[in-house]
Amino acid sequence: MNVLIVEDEKGLALEVDEFLSHEGFTVEHARTKRSAEEKIFINNYDFILLDLGLPDGDGFDLLKMLKGLDKREDAVIILTARGAVDDRVSGLEQGADDYLAKPFSLSELLARMHAITRRKHRLESNDINIKGLKVNIQNRTVMYNEERINLTKKEFEIFNYLVLNKNRVISRTNLTEHVWGDVLEINSDSNFVDVHVKNLRKKLSQYIPIDWFETVRSIGYRINI
Amino acid sequence: MKLQVKLALYNTLTKVAIILFTGLLILLSIEKISYNHIELRLEQDEQEILRSLSSKEINSYLTTQKTYTDYNILKEEFISIKPVEYKSVLAPNGRFKTESRKIDRNTQDYRILWHRFNFNNHTYMLEIGVAIESVEELKSIIKKFTIVVLVIALVLTLISDLIFTKFLLAPFYKIIDRKLIKVNDPMNFDYEKIKTTTQDFELLDDSISSLMKKISNLFILEKQFIANVSHELLTPISIISSRLENILLQEELSEGSENKMHASLKTLNRLKSIINSLLLISKVENNQYAKTDMVMIAAVIMEIQEELEDRIEEKRLKFTNNLKYIYTIQGNRPLMHTLLFNLINNAIKYNNAAGSIIIGDELKEDMYTLIITDTGTGMDSKQIENAFNRFEKLDTDERESYGLGLAIVKSITAFHNIKVQIHSVKGEGTTVKLIFNTPIPLS
Repeated sequence: MNVLIVEDEKGLALEVDEFLSHEGFTVEHARTKRSAEEKIFINNYDFILLDLGLPDGDGFDLLKMLKGLDKREDAVIILTARGAVDDRVSGLEQGADDYLAKPFSLSELLARMHAITRRKHRLESNDINIKGLKVNIQNRTVMYNEERINLTKKEFEIFNYLVLNKNRVISRTNLTEHVWGDVLEINSDSNFVDVHVKNLRKKLSQYIPIDWFETVRSIGYRINI
Repeated sequence: MKLQVKLALYNTLTKVAIILFTGLLILLSIEKISYNHIELRLEQDEQEILRSLSSKEINSYLTTQKTYTDYNILKEEFISIKPVEYKSVLAPNGRFKTESRKIDRNTQDYRILWHRFNFNNHTYMLEIGVAIESVEELKSIIKKFTIVVLVIALVLTLISDLIFTKFLLAPFYKIIDRKLIKVNDPMNFDYEKIKTTTQDFELLDDSISSLMKKISNLFILEKQFIANVSHELLTPISIISSRLENILLQEELSEGSENKMHASLKTLNRLKSIINSLLLISKVENNQYAKTDMVMIAAVIMEIQEELEDRIEEKRLKFTNNLKYIYTIQGNRPLMHTLLFNLINNAIKYNNAAGSIIIGDELKEDMYTLIITDTGTGMDSKQIENAFNRFEKLDTDERESYGLGLAIVKSITAFHNIKVQIHSVKGEGTTVKLIFNTPIPLS
């Protein structure tokens, strides 16, 4: 899948590039509005990661331009340090698919990109298979041999996020922020994520052995496949 | 006193003074002029009489040393010559006096010319009088006239001045109303000129507009500053956190380094939270949020209760929702959510295990009050005093407290015109009251 990163901050673009390349994406990078415009005219992208504050203009203009083009399916995720609610709303109103406030975690970005992909290609199978468990994002269910495992909303979110970021340690902070949102002053160090994970593991282990669901001491969790 | 009234009174007073002054002047000059006129005539008469002293008629009176008196029918004029003690040389004497005289049972005021003269070795006193009643009458007519004119002028001036100054000052009050009273923030200032032909008001209007321009420029600068700071600080944090995440992907990383990376990420997250909290406070204090949502308090509480369910369960707290009213406030929904979230989150955070949280409300004199009570650690009065200051933390085991929660509460409540009261007893619990100062109770 092709990704265009429109970001004037070279350091950040390089890190996102490295991460997404590692995940199998083909990444291009534009640092100005003008070069981004050129690239958008020439190529179709699966994702455009758009920074709003560009040296030669506002990212919103690029979004408007893109929405004015025919037959474009490029998904746009706005990445900005302008965390204002108004920006978020107007970004989504103008046709952006999602909005991430800087600083964001790369695993969160990946999860959002997966979510958009699934939304856009609704006809394809939504199931992710993991050790005989079927995770259906659309219906938010986990099945084992046609039997539904009864998970709470938060347990499902945690499991889904860990599965999407498989083979990578996900910290409690990261997990808390994903599940509870970017709520100010939330106590991310508390062990209430652990409570959910504990319940989740208990439920899963009734069906299959879960040695692949690892607790990384003092950091967080990892699903190894 | 209003300028309009002051101006009218000033005008009235000056006009009264001018009319009084002219009235007096006219009175005095009329007296002067008519006396002059009378005296001139009297002098002529005197000459005439002195010339005709030797005439038979008068002469016969004089020789018999009798008093000669003569007057006309209406007794407006009289002449009398009477002998007085003889003096051979007379000092220059005589001239005019005003006296009451009784002639034929009629008493009248006369202007009298008197003169002593020697004639045939006798001294006589000559008096010629003219009644001055007509002059006095004229004077009293003028007096009355002056008073009438005065009263009429007074009333007319007052009315006309009030009307005129009202018309004159209308642009002034328009400027005050539109450019000062109705302006809530400099961004929505109405720069359109108020129509006036008075240069002073134009100057006032222009001065206010230019002042407002300066203020709004400062305001824009401040907003830009906040936006810049947020961008300039959050972008580097973003780069570092992405870089750390990428390093964590490397498989050859030792466990110790991995732990340190995660610890650094957590610190970065803390930094991000602090910056975001400060940004939120600044933005609220700069009125950069719209207050256009109708926010139903009970609905927000229920939402938060659901969001925090796991934390409530984790601490085995008893959460009681006793809300009796459905109150809606016009405000900013995300901010109201943050406000109530922070308060309820605090009630959970500082609660003892198996404690309780009670959400209640009351409606007194159209004022809605939301009450959040917990059975937590509580605060003493000094702690309550400092609770709303930035970076003020209670002694707590919670490592992730930044001391900004209540500072955020303070700015959001001020933004929505909500009064906050905290009652707390150390070791027993805390009650937070939110008093909504907008009396629009729905149902």
